[in-house]
Amino acid sequence: MYEIEAINVKKSFGNLEVLKGVSLNVKKGDVIAILGPSGSGKSTFLRSLIDLEEVDEGSIKVCGESLCENGKYVSKKEKNRILSKMGMVFQHFNLFPHLNIKENLMLSPLLNKQASKKEIEELAFETLKTVGLEDKMLAKPSELSGGQKQRVAIARALMRKPEIILFDEPTSALDPELTGEVLSVMSMLAKEGVTMVVVTHEMGFAREVANEIVFMHNGVVLEKGSPEEMFNGAKNEVTKAFLNSVLK
Amino acid sequence: MESSNWVFEMLKQMGPGCLITLKLFVITIVLSIPLGLIVTFLYMSKNKPLSKAIGGFILLMRGTPLLLQMFFVWFALPMIPYVGEYLELKDRFVAGAVAFVLNYAAYFAEIFRGGILAIDKGQYEASKVLGISELNTKIRIVLPQMFRTVLPSVANETIILLKDTALISSLGVADLLNETNKIVNRTTNITAYVLAAILYLVLSYVLSVVFKKLEKKFSF
Repeated sequence: MYEIEAINVKKSFGNLEVLKGVSLNVKKGDVIAILGPSGSGKSTFLRSLIDLEEVDEGSIKVCGESLCENGKYVSKKEKNRILSKMGMVFQHFNLFPHLNIKENLMLSPLLNKQASKKEIEELAFETLKTVGLEDKMLAKPSELSGGQKQRVAIARALMRKPEIILFDEPTSALDPELTGEVLSVMSMLAKEGVTMVVVTHEMGFAREVANEIVFMHNGVVLEKGSPEEMFNGAKNEVTKAFLNSVLK
Repeated sequence: MESSNWVFEMLKQMGPGCLITLKLFVITIVLSIPLGLIVTFLYMSKNKPLSKAIGGFILLMRGTPLLLQMFFVWFALPMIPYVGEYLELKDRFVAGAVAFVLNYAAYFAEIFRGGILAIDKGQYEASKVLGISELNTKIRIVLPQMFRTVLPSVANETIILLKDTALISSLGVADLLNETNKIVNRTTNITAYVLAAILYLVLSYVLSVVFKKLEKKFSF
């Protein structure tokens, strides 16, 4: 069984067809890096996996359960249940600025009655520890650096114990010297076996951590393969040209 | 000594008027802010006819003078055929307050709408992927951020309201300005005007200090 199964997903914004039939299978423990030039549809595809974009055609299954089949979505209640298996980390962190770090982590588990308040509080502390920010429990997001904010965002996603975490360009909004701390947290999660789909421009991360590279261009998957195959012997000319340009 | 007694006497006479001004102010704030919030949410709802109707209400309230609205509630409503007799208010103060609450609700609604529109769409997306329901998103994410954003505008509007309350004297309600006028007419001396100005000024100043404190407290 696949953790995520996307079949022939199509999506248009007005006259612009952004996804022209994208398929992707994600197995448990996979770390998949989606690469591609801007405008290739990679973020839209990632967002459609967690229902932030509604697709026009195609099917998406999460942990064997249908989120949408041939463009028809399941009921809202079903959606919520299925989507609770996924977490997402955004480019711009999207922390709640009016809440402190602890409250950012606890809000969703508390509202969804995931456990008792005390247990959730302990979980928040433990989770912040794994991203190295347990001393920031009471800080407001505005007091943190970009890298720290993104680590908090990852911790917040982990609070719901998701099977899969989607990352939408998690380091693109960071100063270069701050990307390292975020990437090392992500590598650690990968080692622990968390299934991850990552839209990224970090070639180093894609090469070292991902077990599959998916290259998208103009709304289709042009080529995919292991990092070894993709970085050393991409077959498609467009893929080659892109990888050469970013690796220089 | 003689003159300070005289000023004190004047202030004592202005006291009840000042209380009525404050009463109108508090009633308007306490009712128009929640009403404005409801108006905003109805205006922003996906229900087109409802949204249009609320848009009409806002246009009417912002597009006509508050003074005219007060006259309308007090004098004109009871003259409407058939329903007028049920709309007659027995008290001038109540009629004025009704107009104030409706008028300020429209202004606050537009301020709140601006605050809601200023919220980044990433907040809604984060809330959604965390499995937070739409209602809880409104209560826990949107409202607190909106309140912080609109505090300076609300402070501004509140200070305008404090001074606008003087309009109710036109309905013959014995508010601070009306009482002051009476004293000036009786004493043929403008000291009471100066005292009234100082009273309004002190109240405005207190308000601005309170709002500055709130802004600080809720900063993020």
